[in-house]
Amino acid sequence: MMPAVVKDQLPLIVLLLLVLVVSSIDSGFMAPGNLLVVTADTMTLFLMAAGATFVIMTGGIDLSIQAVASMTSCIVAALLPKLGFTAVPITLLAGAVFGVMNGLVTTKLRIPSFVATLAVSGVATSVAFLVSDARSVLIAAADRDAYLAWAVGDLGPLQNEILVGLVVLIGLTLLYQFTTFGRFIRAIGSQEQAVIASGIHADRIKILAFILSGTMAGLAGVVMAGRLGSGSPTLANEFLLPAIACIIVGGTAITGGVGSVWRTFIGALIIAVVRIGMTFIGVSVFAQQIVFGLILVAAVAITMDRSKVATVK
Amino acid sequence: MTAVLEVRGGSKSFPGVKAMDDVTVQIGRNEVVGLIGENGAGKSTLLKVITGIYQLDEGELIVNGQQLALASPRDAFDHGVAMVFQEQSVLSTLSIAENIFLGREQEFLRFGLIDKKRMNSAARDELAKVRLDLDPAKRTADLTFAERQMVEIAKALSLDSRIDGEVIILLDEPTSVLEQREIDILFEIIEDLKQRASILFISHRLDEVLAVSDRVYVMRDGKVVHEVKADAAELHDLHQHMVGRQLDHRYYREQRQRTAGERVILEVGGLGKEGQFDDVSFQLHEGEILGIAGVVGSGREALARCLAGLEPADHGEITVDNQPTRISAPYQAVGAGIGFVPSERKVEGIVAALDVAENMSLAAKGRFLRRGLIDFAAERETAMAWVDRLGIKTPSIRTPGGSLSGGNQQKVVLAKWRIADSGVMILDHPTRGIDVGAKEEVYELIRDMAEEGLGVLLLADTLEEVIGLSSRILVMKDGRVSKAFEAPVGGKPEQVDLIEAMV
Repeated sequence: MMPAVVKDQLPLIVLLLLVLVVSSIDSGFMAPGNLLVVTADTMTLFLMAAGATFVIMTGGIDLSIQAVASMTSCIVAALLPKLGFTAVPITLLAGAVFGVMNGLVTTKLRIPSFVATLAVSGVATSVAFLVSDARSVLIAAADRDAYLAWAVGDLGPLQNEILVGLVVLIGLTLLYQFTTFGRFIRAIGSQEQAVIASGIHADRIKILAFILSGTMAGLAGVVMAGRLGSGSPTLANEFLLPAIACIIVGGTAITGGVGSVWRTFIGALIIAVVRIGMTFIGVSVFAQQIVFGLILVAAVAITMDRSKVATVK
Repeated sequence: MTAVLEVRGGSKSFPGVKAMDDVTVQIGRNEVVGLIGENGAGKSTLLKVITGIYQLDEGELIVNGQQLALASPRDAFDHGVAMVFQEQSVLSTLSIAENIFLGREQEFLRFGLIDKKRMNSAARDELAKVRLDLDPAKRTADLTFAERQMVEIAKALSLDSRIDGEVIILLDEPTSVLEQREIDILFEIIEDLKQRASILFISHRLDEVLAVSDRVYVMRDGKVVHEVKADAAELHDLHQHMVGRQLDHRYYREQRQRTAGERVILEVGGLGKEGQFDDVSFQLHEGEILGIAGVVGSGREALARCLAGLEPADHGEITVDNQPTRISAPYQAVGAGIGFVPSERKVEGIVAALDVAENMSLAAKGRFLRRGLIDFAAERETAMAWVDRLGIKTPSIRTPGGSLSGGNQQKVVLAKWRIADSGVMILDHPTRGIDVGAKEEVYELIRDMAEEGLGVLLLADTLEEVIGLSSRILVMKDGRVSKAFEAPVGGKPEQVDLIEAMV
């Protein structure tokens, strides 16, 4: 058995080791400029995973984040020319609406979030195709500079993606640490029946978690669209597996009750460094999902609380 | 007497509790042995040892002359020990025949496929042994509760065609869910069964145990304290042995019992829930400890859960502090000032991942909020005060609730409701599974609550406990209040009186 402190900080230790390994292969990796680029590139993944972290901490899962992010990239690209900056809050609201759908289907119809969010992600994908007419929706450079600079510009040496990521990290961490919402999220993941018996509206808390997840996926979609200069119904494809992986790799248990947004931040960086390492040693982009799949399985096996799972189906 | 099953000097401990202490019991060939004792006396631990769920720390288990270490219920089954579960283990989506031969399908294989016809005809033979005339192809979901229980017994009996030794059948409270007519049939079947099997019969209904058993063991505090031939046994005598010591008034802090106040804080009128309880009416006054006694299936657990909002009642009125109150979900009960200490502490009581202070403030609504954020300083102060006041043994208030001992977890749950300022406390087996020292502390806390004007509804673990603590006692039987007893200091009812009203 490893000491508790080591186990607790394992993700951070793994991240540092990976950075050392990659920088020993690629001497340019450790250059400050490069590290910032890597971090900036990781932020969209982190944004997608940050909200979903709350859902996973309740013991549920949100498989719709990839579809919602793609959808919102189309919506923001389509609305920017007409509405200007107003397109951004409206797009986030669309993400939130899909969170509400996830939450209601899960809590009111009592359908496991795994199935509920899978079904809702189908809806989101269809909406994306309808909004975009099944094509990439280009964002004019002028629109991007005028309305999305907060997401994709630079502030001195720092990319704005990093600033957005830090704001989200701090904001959600405060929400998690200092509000009863955050506490109830953790409590529901640990022992939902006791939470309900204490007179707490557990369903409302779970719906809020899904809304947070949908909104953050929406924000990820907006930032992605800004970075790439277009929205597309397949923009965030191949992001779901890494997003769930970075939540779990960071040390949030798939069985709920344990975790934090900070851990997801570390997890996202781990995934990013692994990705860069693989690219550098020549692993094909198409083969990289194999590795993410394996990482996810390994991380789940380490973090999950088996006493909560009597049978696996 | 040739013993077909014997436990010799068996002991089994759990953290904080010695559940079985040097227990020796024998079951003879073709004998029906009764086992009685109060909750927590060690009956179920003994059963679990015999069926391979637990393994003995010390002592021996001998089945059909062989000393064994049974690893699992399946292992026990293969050695001829079959348990008929209180909570039935019949799989409702399978047919009767499939249930009876579950795990033995290979005996019916033909060309690698199951020969249903042969299985059904074999099942018919097994059903005949329990006088059950049912189509073996019928799904068990379509059977009545009693029929399912009989199927389970048939399954247990089917063992005798495949093992060399004697079959031992364990019946754990088999009558608690049966109608009188079905009970009569069951007893006839047990008479029949004696020709082919040995039986261990566990029940809290002493009259039943005496009616069917040849010999009776009484357990108390993890020990076998008495053994007697059924035809020589006296009901009163058995009660004495079950209870053991003469009642010590100080144990239940009776010197602190006060007369209840005038103010009614909870009134229940004509409350009912289909199939559970009906027409229950009572008043709970401030400072009153109202005990509710009744056997399993009397409806008292369901009543408590309805008042806590964990299950909805079908009809009737609930009035809290003179306000008619609708309670169909826990938040409504909590909002009305009703706190519920559940019998399943780890399921509905403590949240393992939250620390002591967080657990304590869980039901406190906005009390520890300042400008929407958690006021950690206020929370800490309150938590420390209650840790101190209740004598909770914890390294710190930031220790996860899940790592405390049972008694300390229970105190944390109690503190949660005190902090939430609940005026009514429903205590569902508040001393279940906690050690003797912690029990006495919980008794003190219950007296504290009454002194501070709370109304306490108590579903106690034992009769002794309900009599000792309560100032008034309602007895429930078959879902209705069958009798009420005043229980002032010096004028407490006898256990026998309660039992008469219970069964």
